[in-house]
Amino acid sequence: MQRDVGSLPLAPALRARLIAAGFQTAQELLETGPCGLSKEIGISKEEALEALQVVRQECHGGAAGTAGGSGATRKCTALELLEEEQAQGFIITFCSALDNILGGGVQLTKITEICGAPGVGKTQLCMQLAVDVQIPECFGGVAGEAVFIDTEGSFMVERVADIATACVQHCQLIAEAHQEEDHLKALEMFSLESILSHIYYFRCRDYIELLAQVYLLPDFLSEHSKVRLVVVDGIAFPFRHDFEDLSLRTRLLNGLAQQLIIIANDHKSAVVLTNQMTTRIGQSQSTLVPALGESWGHAATVRLIFHWDNSQRLATLYKSPSQKESTIPYHITSHGFRDVQPPAVTQNVEGTEMNPRKRPRREEEM
Amino acid sequence: MAAKKLRRARLSQELCERLSRHQITTCQDFLCLSLLELMKVTGQSYYDVQKLLRKVSQACAPKMQTAYEMKLRKSVNPSSAFLSTTLHSLDKVLHGGVPCGSLTEITSPPGCGKTQFCIMVSVLATLPVSMGGLGGTVIYIDTESAFSAERLIEIAGNRFPTYFDSDEKLFCMTRSIHLYRELTCGSVLKRIMSLEEEIISKKVKLIVIDSVASVVRKEFDTRLQGNLAERSNFLARGASVLKYLAEEFSIPVILTNQITTSLSNGFPIQADLVSPADDLSLSEAGIFSPEGNSKSCLKPSMNYVVSPERHLEFSLGR
Repeated sequence: MQRDVGSLPLAPALRARLIAAGFQTAQELLETGPCGLSKEIGISKEEALEALQVVRQECHGGAAGTAGGSGATRKCTALELLEEEQAQGFIITFCSALDNILGGGVQLTKITEICGAPGVGKTQLCMQLAVDVQIPECFGGVAGEAVFIDTEGSFMVERVADIATACVQHCQLIAEAHQEEDHLKALEMFSLESILSHIYYFRCRDYIELLAQVYLLPDFLSEHSKVRLVVVDGIAFPFRHDFEDLSLRTRLLNGLAQQLIIIANDHKSAVVLTNQMTTRIGQSQSTLVPALGESWGHAATVRLIFHWDNSQRLATLYKSPSQKESTIPYHITSHGFRDVQPPAVTQNVEGTEMNPRKRPRREEEM
Repeated sequence: MAAKKLRRARLSQELCERLSRHQITTCQDFLCLSLLELMKVTGQSYYDVQKLLRKVSQACAPKMQTAYEMKLRKSVNPSSAFLSTTLHSLDKVLHGGVPCGSLTEITSPPGCGKTQFCIMVSVLATLPVSMGGLGGTVIYIDTESAFSAERLIEIAGNRFPTYFDSDEKLFCMTRSIHLYRELTCGSVLKRIMSLEEEIISKKVKLIVIDSVASVVRKEFDTRLQGNLAERSNFLARGASVLKYLAEEFSIPVILTNQITTSLSNGFPIQADLVSPADDLSLSEAGIFSPEGNSKSCLKPSMNYVVSPERHLEFSLGR
């Protein structure tokens, strides 16, 4: 209640007049009432009432201290956070090595960034995650929906259909092995049509459309409360060309990052971004680094770098607050994103048919 | 969308006038400002400014579609989703042929058959839909002056002798292929920007650019500082316009690239001159590479979103 008038989110002209009239704290404003205020400042009674309503909302929002609006702060102890994090699910990637280095999979409420050279599998992983987020809870998934924001136009529905079909088959195999009631009931809802209907796709052609879409995203997520994954495929592409003003770019990117963090926390969803690689030219050699500059590196909580080693695709966990740095190989098959089959285990080099049958054992451990 | 004027975003007249005094006339100007700047410029409170932001965003934001709706739309018209190349194994790997609505890149060392492939696909595009073509005209942007009209007629006559049985039919086909010779990066970009109206007026069903690499190679020496950024700028702008055209009109766009040797750890390895997806953000790329004398290998490359790498062989003939 001792809040300074100059810090209230009123119109600047109104604020200036209040300060000029001598008002100092919000409490003073509330005590004066709308009629008194309108007489002193020289504004209409309706305007005075509006201003008081804003002041009241601000003060009550601050005093209550709960996670109601986006402006309020939240307080909780680390124990509560621990319980929350342990109860939270992960979005599995179907590549058990990658899930292991991530500590279980893609974490909800965090921003994960995937950087890599073209063709290495970033969009493949994004499409895989958009399907995996929908896996029902009895199979170890989070039973959510997905928002896919595409800036590069690399989303191919046929490919998502292939991945989804493989995922459904995999779950069917588990259900057959276990023969439990809720497994079979969940399978009825988990079909190709339902998976595809719950991937909400936005095609943004330039950075303005991307900014606009991210501004509208909180409203969209409030309407579709089951969304647990937001993918922005190609956050670098709209910002990399045609941007003369680099400081504007940094500011817009930081704003985007902040909004995405708020979205991730408020709606308990995972945010996955893909980034491109660029060459940094040093004195004697040039190295490949993630694009968008150093300051963007702080935006994501978890950073994965995908790269090639001869013809093997590798994923490196580059930045993570809880897991250590490590590199694992992965494979992209016709079924989607998968582990590399170790040669000793299977005679069949093709290996992709064996993959679904290897999963049931891992699912039981979970 | 970005250049949309604010009054079309349903903002009130007086607000638009007030904003135009600060040189803010388009949605782009509005959305690039921070909240505090917006408050100062509009003279409204924090919450009202947020409402305004949402209003302007709604004017710019793309429409939502679910993946299911996209799939239904494609399955309603399966024949229009691909342009068959009439090479059966290639079509099988590509799930039907050259996809409509996205960019496809063909890359190879010189002499492998890229231009021949482009000429053949141009003929295919002019064929009626009943024969597996697209029944439309072709825009062919040639930067190397490698297009030969005689070769075009030769391929058409030998490939489809029953259809092109008269000179009349052949000339009709050649009239459907609009050739543009562009020799600099700037003119290529200008041509790409002007394509939208031509596509509508001439009922274009295929765009071929042969080749992107030659103009880029002539003008940008990447060893010079600053050229790398300009080159990526040029390529990215061209690519985004081409992608927009491909998606908007659901037509295939084919680009050709060259392979150059890049020294990596002292060993020369074959690498694309214009890094395909980094610069162009492509969804598909195919690599022709020479193996032996008359046979060439077609290897859809790593940047394949639809299917994994496959190895095919074909030969250049009549």
